Amino acid sequence: MAEERLLEIDNVTKLFGGLAALKEVSFTVSPGEIKAIIGPNGAGKTTLFDVLTGILRPTSGTVLLKGQGTVGLRPDQITAMGMIRTFQTIKLFEGMTVLENAMVGCHSRTGSGFLATGLRLPASRREEARIHEEAMGVLKDVGLERRALEVGTNLPYGQQRMLELARALASRPEILLLDEPAAGLNQYETGELSALLSRFRERGITILIVEHDMGLVMDISDEVVVLDYGEVIARGAPEVVQNDPKVIEAYLGIEAD
Amino acid sequence: MSDPMKAGKTALGGGKEYRTLLIFAVAVFIVPAWATFIPGDVLHMDIVNIMVFAGIYSCVVIGLNLLVGYAGQISLGHAAFFGVGAYTTAILCTRFSWFPTWLGVLAGVLLAGAIGWLVGVPVLRLKGHYLAMATLGLGEIAFILFTQLKWLTGGTIGVPQGLNVSVAEIPSLSVFGFRFDTDIKFFFLAWGIVVLLMLLNINIIKSRVGRGLRALHSSEVAADAMGVDTARYKTRVFVLSAMFAGLGGALFAHFQRYINPESFVFSVSILFITMVVVGGMGNLWGGIVGVIVLTFLPSVIQALPQWIPGIPESLTNFSNYSLVLYGILLILFMMFMPQGIAAGLSRGLAFTQKRGRRLRDRFEARKYEGH
Repeated sequence: MAEERLLEIDNVTKLFGGLAALKEVSFTVSPGEIKAIIGPNGAGKTTLFDVLTGILRPTSGTVLLKGQGTVGLRPDQITAMGMIRTFQTIKLFEGMTVLENAMVGCHSRTGSGFLATGLRLPASRREEARIHEEAMGVLKDVGLERRALEVGTNLPYGQQRMLELARALASRPEILLLDEPAAGLNQYETGELSALLSRFRERGITILIVEHDMGLVMDISDEVVVLDYGEVIARGAPEVVQNDPKVIEAYLGIEAD
Repeated sequence: MSDPMKAGKTALGGGKEYRTLLIFAVAVFIVPAWATFIPGDVLHMDIVNIMVFAGIYSCVVIGLNLLVGYAGQISLGHAAFFGVGAYTTAILCTRFSWFPTWLGVLAGVLLAGAIGWLVGVPVLRLKGHYLAMATLGLGEIAFILFTQLKWLTGGTIGVPQGLNVSVAEIPSLSVFGFRFDTDIKFFFLAWGIVVLLMLLNINIIKSRVGRGLRALHSSEVAADAMGVDTARYKTRVFVLSAMFAGLGGALFAHFQRYINPESFVFSVSILFITMVVVGGMGNLWGGIVGVIVLTFLPSVIQALPQWIPGIPESLTNFSNYSLVLYGILLILFMMFMPQGIAAGLSRGLAFTQKRGRRLRDRFEARKYEGH
């Protein structure tokens, strides 16, 4: 089976001074799969996301998205290519409504500039109407359409997480990078999130997820990659990885400290 | 408000803001009418004349509010662009007496924009204090150039007296043969332009671009990640604000009919920022409220002895302590009213409306009880 690759991470290393946050990390993500990255705190998971989305430049190595190199591209360019992320600490836009937050997510697929919007040219008005419609659509997907006009940062925590998800979804991504989406959610909300992510997968969205909630990881992911001290120490099906002695050591080693 | 779909639709058309703009335009344009009915010795100030300056400053402050209040990028050097706009048209129209004044204004706007772009691209990589320092430096450099390039700017004497030209003053602005040569004519020109700039401003803020600017203000990292090209947005909004400032400066030159570097010193940049802060950063109408308050302030202070006898002379000499006062205002507003007067006003208005409604409801309820 010639496996198609949506995202290829090849020998990515990121040094901070002398410290290696990522050491020759390599793995691939196939279209339609849900892949989880787990590992103890400080293993380099968020650093990996920062490298993938162009916030950080890797010291060496390459990243290919749909066969195209992304190293050196700006974050907004990578987003426009169909890969978007959420943040571990929620980063909603302050002072903006739920709807406006979601509307910003449409940015990479729209193009009206200062002149077109300033003069309210017909094309920009049509585009505005489309953005509004699509943003309402993604809010409906995550069940926030009734709160569209509230200020985003005033929502309860769980709904703020959902809004971050909706905002990312508004860019119509092919691959969604989720940085601990279940952090701070209660069991019920985590269950809802799990169902939501499964629905995204049915729609053909590929998901790369960093998560500490093992229940969720085991529940939804097709494959798990385990990072420890910036290195991939194990990979495979969730059940296999769970019983890998190296993985157990990495986690228990932290606990024993 | 209860149905988000519907409310969102009206927000899309921006209905409320355009209605406010219309009311604002009417309110401003009738100012000269009632100003003529108040005898001059009551107010001891020339309302229309002061309002012309307020209109000119509004051009600058609308752009600056877009930059500072919405995009979150500070500039402590906007007097530089104000000056570039003023000097460009002043020099062109006095050196070459045939030069059309409206073309001079256009040249001033474009040159201010071009310099804004040249300066903005490198400077906007800086953030916070560093950006503030860099723009402060820009303002100082511009002031030194206005003063020292004597062959071009007439040095400290200014245009046209400092230049070897035949005209005694900068010609009044003339468009299609119509000359804006009196205060009242210029009043309508300046405020007409302000209304147009506000329209442009509202359109931008209520759109994709406005959301992009507000997003980058809140979190550059998140805005980047959501696909907003933040570097480009910052440069563009800086250029736009420079052009607005250039337009204000060009109008200033044609209204005052002479210019010298004094009008473009550091304290003028601070005055612009104070206007934005006092009115309300990131508030659509904030800038204009701040401009009107601070433009009238010196005249009010100068008129004080006529209203209240026995006020010490030192107090009425505004220029002696204007910088100190701006500083105090900045600190007080940052501490106690960070959203500015405009937000305070609209909150107060909403409060009284709500209260009125509650009183009415209570009244209705009592009526029913009575039955």
